[in-house]
Amino acid sequence: MLVGGAQPTAGRPGAERTGRTKTPWRAQGASAGTGSPRAFGAQRAERLAPYVLVAPAVLVVATLRLWPLLLGVNYSFTGDGARDGTSVGLDNYAELVDDPLFRTALGNVGLLVLLLPVAVAIPGMLATFLFLRVPGHRLFRSVYFFPAVLSPVIVGAIFNLLLAYDGPLNSLLEKAGIGAVDWLGDPDVTMFTVVGVHIWATFGMALVVFLAGFSTLDTTLLDAARVDGASLARVIRHVIVPGLSRTIQFVFVTTMIGMLTSMFGLLYVMTSGGPEGSTYLPEYYIWIQQGQLNRPALASAASTVLFLIMLVVGLVQIGLLRRAGREH
Amino acid sequence: MKRPALWSVVLVAGLLSGCGSAGSGSSSGTADGTLVVWDWKSGEETAASYIEQAKADFAAEHPDVTVEFVAQPFDQYYTLLGTAIQAGKGPDVMLFNGGGQIRDRADALLPLDDYVTGDRQRLAGWEAFTAKGKTYAAPVTLQGHPLYYNKALYEEAGLDPDSPATTWREFTDDCEAITEATDASCLALGNKEGFGIQFFLSGLGPGVLTPREYDAWIAGDRDWNSPRVRRLFELWKETGDAGLNNDGANSTALFNDAFALFQSGEAAHIVGLMSDVGHWKDFGEFLDPDDIGVMPAPRAEAGAEPVLPYDGGIGYAVAKWTKKPALAADLVRSLTSKDALQAFYADAGAVVSDTTVDVSDGGAALSAITSEIGAGKPALHVALSTETLDLLGRLSQQILSGSTGVDEALEQLADSDRKG
Repeated sequence: MLVGGAQPTAGRPGAERTGRTKTPWRAQGASAGTGSPRAFGAQRAERLAPYVLVAPAVLVVATLRLWPLLLGVNYSFTGDGARDGTSVGLDNYAELVDDPLFRTALGNVGLLVLLLPVAVAIPGMLATFLFLRVPGHRLFRSVYFFPAVLSPVIVGAIFNLLLAYDGPLNSLLEKAGIGAVDWLGDPDVTMFTVVGVHIWATFGMALVVFLAGFSTLDTTLLDAARVDGASLARVIRHVIVPGLSRTIQFVFVTTMIGMLTSMFGLLYVMTSGGPEGSTYLPEYYIWIQQGQLNRPALASAASTVLFLIMLVVGLVQIGLLRRAGREH
Repeated sequence: MKRPALWSVVLVAGLLSGCGSAGSGSSSGTADGTLVVWDWKSGEETAASYIEQAKADFAAEHPDVTVEFVAQPFDQYYTLLGTAIQAGKGPDVMLFNGGGQIRDRADALLPLDDYVTGDRQRLAGWEAFTAKGKTYAAPVTLQGHPLYYNKALYEEAGLDPDSPATTWREFTDDCEAITEATDASCLALGNKEGFGIQFFLSGLGPGVLTPREYDAWIAGDRDWNSPRVRRLFELWKETGDAGLNNDGANSTALFNDAFALFQSGEAAHIVGLMSDVGHWKDFGEFLDPDDIGVMPAPRAEAGAEPVLPYDGGIGYAVAKWTKKPALAADLVRSLTSKDALQAFYADAGAVVSDTTVDVSDGGAALSAITSEIGAGKPALHVALSTETLDLLGRLSQQILSGSTGVDEALEQLADSDRKG
């Protein structure tokens, strides 16, 4: 132990100077290190150094992340209103399970996961077209990215106007003889509307990642495929998709995170959780319970459930990324 | 390896026992000589002279006390307030909406009964700020739900604008005439946020419930299975089925898209407000003020006696944790002084709680409203808890879309109301 610990202090300068005579120097340095009290202090400082260096980061994480997290979990076992501050065991969790609204919110999380392939395929397809230089690809490249710089509130407000029952989209549909659709008022449609708007607002980012992935693609393979007379569909299926598998996985993970964490603004502006509570997500539920219905403890329980879900999703994603990294 | 296991057992046990609280905590206050007020009004231009008057009134008695108004965004107001209540520290005085919003938070407030005895007679609308027999805020404005109608559309449809319908049947007949003769819908309804049903319940409920049932409802004795309550919800369904509402009511925001429909002459009737927005003064900016009429709720059931439904709208309350309760209560009294309220009426067009304020220059619609204040009663929806109102909003959307029946909705509401 001691020899190893003292090795860097005394051993290295000598080793650098003498090159091949490393071993005798190290032995000598080790014995000198254990002998003098000054060297012993330096050795202890060196052992503590890594802890001191990581301490700020650990403290920030512990006090600003872990401690509030534990407090939140703790609050979820207390009551609201008249039972404020008293322990209620798992009552809040039982209430969550009974609440159809919370179940809808969780169901919508599942729906988002199901819609994930669509959210990844759209920027993927568009990036492919840009890569294959469709006419006007330079213009499209900048136009596609434009919505990504808008805040969800602005996007929501724009689409509120466009998708209103008496709004421009419905007048177009009526003129075309299709008939108006209540985009934001029909519970079977609204969640898809909001997800669609979310994808429109955020696909620019994924598109950029895809384009970056394309730049690493081996063009000789593409040329070879063309020379062999492969159709566009076959080029995509057999050359582009395999070549981009890492990029696709990365976009999957980031899009998933985006969908689960940044829909709140859009929901708040576009639907307020409605109609009929059909567009609730756990975050929105937490906000309503805490801010509007004055149920902080119930909101803590919902937060804990959301945290656990995100933990599982996060671990799965880390696993996916790791596997992708190992493959290459 | 034993220690981590032991620690995690202790941790889990501690968590499961749920110590601490997510609600109100220890008390704290502000520095001496300063009172902090939270509201969402003081930043508005139309409230500037009101705040100035109130400050002057307070400064006359307490020249050495500084009053600091912090205007919060209304969207976030109760979230921010909730955080302050949990922390047990925050403003000394704060603004509240009457009804559920203040009753749910009464535990964090100071009862004002001993401080406001002098204002009892002069001000109206105390009930909305009363919980379990104690008053927690002094009313600033009155908020109510008059049924407004557009006289110009009545004339266009060949109806007499000066004698609007008094029964539900006459009302639906008039609606038919209006929708046939004009492009307007009969009712402007915005139920995207679930507020449309609240206005409908309060605006048209007096035409359905008997005075006895009405008073019982307000007092907390609500029979959700009574035939008249069912009838009220059937009327809600009927307005949707019979096409009395504008299209897409469930995706139209009441604030302010539905008001805009009425303002622009695209709807003939709306259950509006008395103060703040969606009221006679707002409508008068787009419509000719002489074309704005106010009618009592049409009588849908015999024995109902329509009255103006109104409550205290907004009012200032004092936090329990304040270190200067008497001083804070004095500030509340200044905020409801006659001069301040007169200024608020003049600039914002708010129907203020002070019944002695002169409103003779406000026009026909306002005088129709104020003449009914004496006989008016609290609005039906204000008596419900925020939780029940939240459920009511969702169920009302389901009734309109047909995914839930009236019976099932009433059952769920009765259940929620019992818990609340």
